[in-house]
Amino acid sequence: MKQSKDPFEAALEEQEESPPDSPVGEDELNSQAPNETQNQTDGGQNILVDDDDYDDIGSNSKNPSHPSSSLTPKLHSTSINANVAAAVTNKNKEYDDDEEEENVEVELSKFPSSADPAKMAKMQTILSQFTEDQMSRYESFRRSALQKSNMRRLLVSITGSQKISLPMTIVVCGIAKMFVGELVEKARMVMTERKESGPIRPCHIREAYRRLKFEGKVPKRSVQRLFR
Amino acid sequence: MSNPSTGASSKSKVGSSQPSETSFKRKRGVFQKDLQHMMYGFGDDSNPLPETVALVEDIVVEYVTDLAYKAQDIGSKRGKLSVEDFLYLIRKDTPKLNRCTELLSMQEELKQARKAFEVDEEKLGTLE
Repeated sequence: MKQSKDPFEAALEEQEESPPDSPVGEDELNSQAPNETQNQTDGGQNILVDDDDYDDIGSNSKNPSHPSSSLTPKLHSTSINANVAAAVTNKNKEYDDDEEEENVEVELSKFPSSADPAKMAKMQTILSQFTEDQMSRYESFRRSALQKSNMRRLLVSITGSQKISLPMTIVVCGIAKMFVGELVEKARMVMTERKESGPIRPCHIREAYRRLKFEGKVPKRSVQRLFR
Repeated sequence: MSNPSTGASSKSKVGSSQPSETSFKRKRGVFQKDLQHMMYGFGDDSNPLPETVALVEDIVVEYVTDLAYKAQDIGSKRGKLSVEDFLYLIRKDTPKLNRCTELLSMQEELKQARKAFEVDEEKLGTLE
């Protein structure tokens, strides 16, 4: 089952088996950053592959039939893919090849504010200038997500009720991911204040958590939890 | 219910007979793999320290737990727990709220697209 695979491993596999990008798409990327060719095109393919979430959109990279518009829907798909923490069930994988074309049109026509062409153009100019390092980090950011199944299990054990709807899981995964983002960013800020470098250490996270609590971004429990 | 496997094993679906505190006896690293990628994406090293990841996981689980408890309190007033309760809890936090509405609308769109696809597939099936 794809969900249990590490997304990066899955991406590597799919990268090997999927056909190369259409020439136009590749040229667009290549012309802007010749030395990052390999990584960017791979990144372009990989961005779509997200084994956790919408596998149907994820296989967009295998669809060479939309060369000129390939870059744009990829960005859309990315935002749908990576950050959407909830997946539709795996059985939708079988609709991969046909459905993605439909999804492309759906995204392009009905997509809310992010379809703003100015914003999209800005994103593209920024993305095109990313270094390899930045690109891989951005890809991680987009594609990482907490597993819906684990989240669902956690919610069921907390609430005691079996009826956890899919949208609820999606929302909670999204909230949790943003919370992790706040924690890590604040921990980095703490590190720069203390003029330290390297990987983030637990003391930084604890300090960040303390500050977030002080700012009120962490829900406070009204009753102290006594037994762990 | 004495369930010898509950202690060290992963979280089982806790029956209503068990108090919620015991559900915290769970395997470490439920979210570990995903969290590593996520932390890298948000600014950490490409290989975050395992103790950092474990700590973040603890914090996140606690956060989700508190959130769910509060949502349950709110939801119990109107009967059952729903997505609206979570949205109400994060109403003050604008980025999170916007993100959640975006996620929900995207999920709706995809549902529509999938439904439309199924209709098309039927038509194709009948034509052939």
